Amino acid sequence: MTAAGAWRAHRQRSEPTGRSPVTGIAAATALAAGVTLWSAFPLSTGRSGTRLALVTAIVAGIMSIAQLAAAAIGNRDSDSFAALDQVAQWLTGLVKMLPWAELLIVAVLGLEALHGSRPWHTALLGIALTGYVLAVHLTETRAGAGVLRAQLPLLSAGIALTALSVGAAALPHFMAGSTDAAIRIVVLVVAVVAVGLAVPVWLSRPGPERGR
Amino acid sequence: MHWSLSGHARRLLVLAVGGVVLAVLTRRAEFAGLAAPALLLLATWQSDRNPQVEVRIHLGTASLVEGVSAPLQVEIHGHEPFAARLLIEPGESVTAGAAVDVPGGHPTRGAVLWVVPTRWGRYSLGVLVITFTDRYRLTEGTAVVELPYASTYPHAASLQSSVVLSRLPSRLGEHPARAAGDGIEFAGVREFVPGDRQRRINWPATTRHGTLHLSTFSAERTQNVVVIADETSDVGEPGASSLDLVLRGASGAITRYLAARDRVGLIIFAGRLSWIGPGQGRRHWYRLLDLMMSTPGGWDRAPGLTRLPRAALPPGSLILVFSPLLDARLVEALRDLRERGFSVLVVDVLNTEPAHDGSRLSRLTARMWHLEQEAVRFSLTQIGVPVVHWDGVTSLDTPLAPYTRRALVAHR
Repeated sequence: MTAAGAWRAHRQRSEPTGRSPVTGIAAATALAAGVTLWSAFPLSTGRSGTRLALVTAIVAGIMSIAQLAAAAIGNRDSDSFAALDQVAQWLTGLVKMLPWAELLIVAVLGLEALHGSRPWHTALLGIALTGYVLAVHLTETRAGAGVLRAQLPLLSAGIALTALSVGAAALPHFMAGSTDAAIRIVVLVVAVVAVGLAVPVWLSRPGPERGR
Repeated sequence: MHWSLSGHARRLLVLAVGGVVLAVLTRRAEFAGLAAPALLLLATWQSDRNPQVEVRIHLGTASLVEGVSAPLQVEIHGHEPFAARLLIEPGESVTAGAAVDVPGGHPTRGAVLWVVPTRWGRYSLGVLVITFTDRYRLTEGTAVVELPYASTYPHAASLQSSVVLSRLPSRLGEHPARAAGDGIEFAGVREFVPGDRQRRINWPATTRHGTLHLSTFSAERTQNVVVIADETSDVGEPGASSLDLVLRGASGAITRYLAARDRVGLIIFAGRLSWIGPGQGRRHWYRLLDLMMSTPGGWDRAPGLTRLPRAALPPGSLILVFSPLLDARLVEALRDLRERGFSVLVVDVLNTEPAHDGSRLSRLTARMWHLEQEAVRFSLTQIGVPVVHWDGVTSLDTPLAPYTRRALVAHR
C-alpha cells in the first residue's frame, strides 16, 4: 500500500474520542467504594490506626472521583473575577493537585494490612483494586474496553498468581494428607497456566524502535 | 518530544510496590498475590523510544471563513506501534472538535480534525497536542506542535439581489441596459432598415403591419461598483459590532457583485486610505478580502480623508458604503462624492447607542446624540444619498429592497 493509501485507510479508521465518561466514573465510584468498605470492615478487628486509614481512604476516594469528573468537564478558563468563579477555580486546582487514586490504593492496602490474615479476602481486594486502576484509566482516556485486549492474557495470568498466593497462604491451615496433596496439584496447575499466559505476551513485545 | 510513565503505569506501580512491601513486612503471601497482576502488566514496559517524530499539518481549505468549520489534515510519520491521540488546544477566537484517536501499526497515519474560527482576523489556530501511547498503555510521549497562523475572512452577508444603475458603462456584462444591443432580454419591435440581421425579423408583427419588423433586445452591460468599508469606528457588542457588520456587509456585496461579473473595487476608510481599483474574477475576490484583513483599523485623525482618490473611483461607478456614520470625515467624503456625480448608497450599520445612567443630564446628552445622528442621515438623504439601516441579522436584501427592484437612477 502506498503512503497515500495508508493515510486514507487510517484517516477513515481514526475516530473522534467523544465517549461519555459517565459510565466510567460510575464504575470507578462503585469500585472505590467497594474496595474501601471491603478492606475496612469489620472495623472492630482492625488494629490501631484503622480509623485514620479509613478516613484517608474515603477522602482519597472522593477526591479521585472528583478528579475524574473535573477532567471530564475539561478546562474552562474564565476571565471572570466573580467570587463563585474564583472559588470554583480554587477547588478545581485542589482536586487536581494530588494523585488521589494512588493515595486511595495506599490507604486501602494499609487498611487491609491492619486486619488479621484473610487470604481469600485479600485476593478479592487485589482483583477489585486492579479493576479500579483499569476503570480510572479508561475513564480518563475516554477509551473503550477494547484497548485492554492486549493486556487480557497478563491480567488472567496475574489473577491466576493471586489464586496461587491464596493457596500458598492457606496451606498451613490444612492438615497433612489427601487435601494437602490435592491443593499442591491445583497450585501447580495454576502456576503452569499463569506462566503459559504471561510468557508469550512478554516475548511478543515489539522491539526497540530504530532511529531514523 | 517528552516521554514519561503514563498515569495508568504510575497507579499500577503503586499497587505493585505496595503489595510487595506489605507482603515482606507482614509476611503474608496473599499481598504478593495481590500485586501479581500489576507486576505482570508492568513487565511489558519498554525503555527504548525514538525521540523524533515527523508531523505534517495541512489546512484543508484555501481560506477560512468565520463560523465555518475547516478541516485540518494531520499526518504522522514514525512511532508506528504507538497509538496516537490528537487534540487541538484552540487559540483565542477558535473552537475545536473532540480529540481523535489514531490506531498504531502503520508507517503513515493521518487524521482529520476540525477547527471553527469564530471571528475574522489573522491569528494562530492554537496548538496540536499529540499523545503517543504504547500497546500496554504504560508509556506516554507528548509532542506539542504549533498550528499555523491563518487569515479568517468575515462571514459574507447574504445578498441575492443587486442594485443596478440606470446608466451603465459600455462594457459587456450581465445587466440589461436601456440601450438596444445584442442581449437576450426583449426590448421592443421596430421597422426593418437595411443592414439589420434577418434572423431578428419578428414575423407576427411583420404580418400584422405588412412591412418588415424586427425584435430589438437590450444590451447587456457590466457596472463598476466601489465598496467603501468604514473601519474608523468599532462600537457595539463584540461579534456584532459596527466593524463586524461593516466587514460582513462589504464581503457580502463584493461576493455578490463579482458573482454577477461586475467590476468591483474596494476602499478601506480607516486611519489611512487603502484601495484596490475595480476588477473581476476569483483572484480579485481574494485580493479584496486580503486588503480588508490586512488594513489595521485606526482612530487617528489623519488629514485629507475627506476627498477620496480619483484612481479608486471610475466615472459612473455605483458606490456602496458600509458605515456606522460616526466619523464626520466620511460624511464629508460622501458629500464630495455626490458633488462629483457618483451614485452613492449608504448602508448604516449602527445598532447601538451610548450608555446613559438615566440622570437628566445623561438623558439630555443621549437625546442630543440621537438628534445629531438623525441630522447626519437626513442631510445625506437631502443631497441624494439614500441611507438604509442594516441590523446584521437579516439578509442585506431586506434593507436594499427599495433600490434593487428597479434601476437606481444615476443623477449627474
